[in-house]
Amino acid sequence: MPNNIHNENEKLLKIFAGIRCLNKDQLPRYLEGRLTDVEKHLVEQHLVDCDLCAEALLALQQEGLMEQYPSLSTGIQQYIRDSIKPVSQVHKMEHYARKVKQRESMLIYFWLAAFVVGGGALLFGISQYSGRKPAAARTAVPVVAASVASPAPAPAAVPVDSTQLQLSHKPPALAAATNPGTPPPVVPAVKKDTVKAAPVVKKPVVDSAAKKPPVAAPKPPDSSKKAADKPKDNPETAAKPAAKDTPAAQIAKNKEKENEKKTDNDNKPKTGANAAPATSGKVDTDEYLYKAAMVYQQHGDLDEAISRYKHLSGTSNSRVSEMARYQMAVCYRSKGQMGKAKRMFKEVVRMDGTMKQAAQQALDNM
Amino acid sequence: MYQQLSNLSDRELISRARKLKDREAEGVLLERYSHLMVAVCLPYLKKNPGTGAQTVFPQLLQRLSNGLKVQSIQKANEWVHQTIKTYFAQPEKQVPYYPSRESRDRLHTENRVEKAANNTIEKQALIAQVKTAIAKLGNDDRYLMEQFYLENKTFADLAAQKGTTVDKIRNQLKKAKSRLATQLTN
Repeated sequence: MPNNIHNENEKLLKIFAGIRCLNKDQLPRYLEGRLTDVEKHLVEQHLVDCDLCAEALLALQQEGLMEQYPSLSTGIQQYIRDSIKPVSQVHKMEHYARKVKQRESMLIYFWLAAFVVGGGALLFGISQYSGRKPAAARTAVPVVAASVASPAPAPAAVPVDSTQLQLSHKPPALAAATNPGTPPPVVPAVKKDTVKAAPVVKKPVVDSAAKKPPVAAPKPPDSSKKAADKPKDNPETAAKPAAKDTPAAQIAKNKEKENEKKTDNDNKPKTGANAAPATSGKVDTDEYLYKAAMVYQQHGDLDEAISRYKHLSGTSNSRVSEMARYQMAVCYRSKGQMGKAKRMFKEVVRMDGTMKQAAQQALDNM
Repeated sequence: MYQQLSNLSDRELISRARKLKDREAEGVLLERYSHLMVAVCLPYLKKNPGTGAQTVFPQLLQRLSNGLKVQSIQKANEWVHQTIKTYFAQPEKQVPYYPSRESRDRLHTENRVEKAANNTIEKQALIAQVKTAIAKLGNDDRYLMEQFYLENKTFADLAAQKGTTVDKIRNQLKKAKSRLATQLTN
């Protein structure tokens, strides 16, 4: 009994069951009465709702129309297939072709971008490399060119500077003594320039002062040099074009540096003695670079100074490399990177050179 | 692909044709109703011998194809039927398909029944509602509904019992069902 009730309830819901339209096979079979009872009931349930199927059945029941129906029905199906499928196929081909094109163009863009980035990186690398190396060349070349080419007083200021640079670093006596023996480009320039620039800037006083005292005492020439440098600075700045500012600044700073160094640790004579045998162009370049780095250090550009010192610390000249390490440690210390500074000082101590004591002191103070 | 598409429901085919611009889905849908279209069009073609099947069917299919892209179609059979009717009534004018009130009520109730298929509580509630709605129908309608849906009688049986035609029985059942759907919806 409950089963019957359940079935009745289920049947009530089938009033609103969604049933598909009659298919091509069912339509003639319904007309001919060749459907099973269940199938026929389902079709009739659908017919209650569907005007399209009901009208189609009514139409096909009319005389003479049933004959036309099969041929027209197959004809329209063929028409739909013909009109839809080729289009669909063409559409698919187009879609595929477009995708392939897109992929290709993306690849091209990728390689273009990669090429541009690679080229840029290469150029940057080259400029970085050449920007570091020729720093020495840039400072050295004008010295040579100017010293060789121009005896005129105005450009002579530059060579004077260069000699000054050299003199300031080496003990004057040694510089004067090594003049004839030193390699060609720089040293002859020193000789000429000092001679030629002398009348203009009252150099002889400096030179004589520089030449005489070193035998007796190494320190006085420095003080006399300082005195002589000051008057020289004015003609320098007046004579030089704006482009040559950096060498001037370098020299000014270098002198200050030197003074500091002398007061800090009286290593000057020793370093001079060390440098004496290495009077080649390479050593000069290293020293220039060292001085340039010091200029940066004094300007407060510690990063640049550190990078330059690093570059110098790898040179064959042990003195310069030691000094560079020491200064690098000082830079690190003033930057607050105590670990690195300590490591550098220790390296200097380990090198067992002239700066050992100073480094040891600095280590003790940290 | 064709085989897979032919297994999809009308609603899925319509959505594929609209959203994915799938011409194959559109073709399968139109092909599904093509034989009924032919059958419905035959009397009109017979009445107007001047209009050939070669012109009528392509135009009609084109109209359906256009309508498929822009109209919202709930029931494909009603849409096809209405398009054919309007085509023969006003061949120059393209009247958009819009379902009638009864049709929407029926569709709503059908959706409710479909949803309640797996929910026993909702199903019981719906059955109770249908019972009360049937009870509110007129005697004749109620008798026909019970005989047709509960006793599984055919149109021919009922027509023979009542002494009317199958078509009249069908129309009466249709009206009774629409009333039922309206009661259940409101």
